[in-house]
Amino acid sequence: MDLFINLTINGLATGMLVFLLAAGLTLIFGLMDVLNFAHGGLFAWGAYSGVWVYTMTNSFLIAIAGAIGTGLVLGFITEKIIIQPVYGNHVQQILITLGFMLVLSELLKVVWGPNQISAKTPDYLAGSWEIGNVILIKYRLFIIIVGIIMFLCIQFILKRTKVGLIVRAGVMNKDMVQALGINIKRVFMLVFMVGSAMAALGGVLLAPYSGVIHAEMGMEFAILAFVVVVIGGMGSFPGSLFASVLVGLSGSFMAYYLPDLSLAVNMLLMAVVLIFKPSGLFVVKG
Amino acid sequence: MRRYFQVSTMAMALVGFMLVVLPSIYDSRSFLILMTQIFIFAIFAMSYDILLGFTGIVSFGHAMFFGIGAYSTGVILDRFDHTLPYFFLAILVGSLISTFISFIVGLLTLRLKSHYYAMLTLAFSGLFLVAAEKWRTLTKGNDGFTFRVPDVMIDRTTFYFICLALMLFVYFFLKRITQSPFGKVMLAIRENEQRTESLGFTILHYKVLASILAGVTASLAGSFYVMSLRFVNTSVFSIDTTLDALLMTIIGGVGTLAGPILGAGLIEFAHHWLTELAKEHPIFERWLIFFGILYIVAVMFFPAGIVGTIQKWGRKKQTPSKKQSIEKHKAAG
Repeated sequence: MDLFINLTINGLATGMLVFLLAAGLTLIFGLMDVLNFAHGGLFAWGAYSGVWVYTMTNSFLIAIAGAIGTGLVLGFITEKIIIQPVYGNHVQQILITLGFMLVLSELLKVVWGPNQISAKTPDYLAGSWEIGNVILIKYRLFIIIVGIIMFLCIQFILKRTKVGLIVRAGVMNKDMVQALGINIKRVFMLVFMVGSAMAALGGVLLAPYSGVIHAEMGMEFAILAFVVVVIGGMGSFPGSLFASVLVGLSGSFMAYYLPDLSLAVNMLLMAVVLIFKPSGLFVVKG
Repeated sequence: MRRYFQVSTMAMALVGFMLVVLPSIYDSRSFLILMTQIFIFAIFAMSYDILLGFTGIVSFGHAMFFGIGAYSTGVILDRFDHTLPYFFLAILVGSLISTFISFIVGLLTLRLKSHYYAMLTLAFSGLFLVAAEKWRTLTKGNDGFTFRVPDVMIDRTTFYFICLALMLFVYFFLKRITQSPFGKVMLAIRENEQRTESLGFTILHYKVLASILAGVTASLAGSFYVMSLRFVNTSVFSIDTTLDALLMTIIGGVGTLAGPILGAGLIEFAHHWLTELAKEHPIFERWLIFFGILYIVAVMFFPAGIVGTIQKWGRKKQTPSKKQSIEKHKAAG
């Protein structure tokens, strides 16, 4: 039983990290119909800049703020330069964002060097509580809480606020929203920046979790995020949360019981979902 | 059209002739190896173009077919014997596995939108990368292993000619296919899927066939790639391998077969040259940035690539004259 709880917490923590990344992707795909393969690059930039700020200021909160800032700025640049010319053309979007991903991850190596960088956990989040035989690692609980808060925030904004109303209306019919006098272009820009900031946040939270960061991690996690988005149903928020948790849990249980299969489990999950339900588990109505 | 065709045929014959006599003029070993790599990557890029340029499918997992060819060659030559029959067996095994995998993956996802296919192929090639790293008894993990090649192929000049011949064969073979009725259907699918379907073609069958064709050709390229290195490791499965093919195709010209060849030449030369430059200044160690920027610029402003753009000029030039001749014809009639 204790083992079960430990594995569940591990899985949930990984799942929430993936959710932060996948949520941005879902947001961008759901509203703007843009396939952003550079998302992993933004994630890695968030991690690097966050760790850099952390070593400079020694404050994890400022590091998080720094990473979010980096995400916002990079999101702005990406949308302006890379995404705007290719709206509405999926193939070109895939190609161009993949090229940008290349540039982003190589630039990381130019700025911070090609070697991996170690990241430490802030003191107040280090260590763990022990209840009976259950070990609760503080940092993992912290990630789970952040993930839940982020999910609730986004759900609240999307469902209860005027901005959310505009965004959801934009998903349904862009031209109509534009005709009502709302600058849909600016809304797109905003959504893209928020999505990028979420990726960057995921990056900086991952750093102490895995201990080291390296330039290739963007690609690794981007693949995971895409798997999640496909499993959950593209553009569905609850879907990506569910799929993230599913991926996280199956990863952590497989790593314990069937370690050889653990790396393949996500791909297998995705293949199975695509065979039986090609549009993903949660289908977006609209 | 005819005039343009003649010019391009003559240019190609000239280049072909130069490639044939090249080794007798300049037989530096490293240069021969570089040229051989270009031929092999040209085959790989052409196979990618069958998907991207001719059928309009974006695949991110093309490296997996390259890797399947590479590993089946490496493993068979290492485990059994390094003779020619085993090499042919290896090519056959690689082709069969590639056919099987591309069939399964294609059947699963090609009826969905393009991005699902892109992602699933990405996932699958990731799976192969993991498998190659974990199945150490077969692949020796990330370190890879060296193996001996058939005696015939030891000489670099002979191998150069074999690869050149193979590239020309693949070029004419694929050209023949793209000009066949099957090729026309592929082009039609690229241009407008719904319309092709309404004409009575089962799109899925054609798409699966195209992906099998591309997969087998890529596996062939992989086989020869490790033959030129005499070494195989997991990098053949990495996403960078797919990106290389993508880059070569885009820069050379999507939807043309000469484009990927030219692209392969350019990228490999640039790669070689920039690696040399890295000794002078460390910024060139990050040469991938230049490629990335070049690639973005190409997608944005130069979507037809080098060969595609030249062809467009050729067509533009001859269009007015055609109009004139039609008008003349009308006036006379």
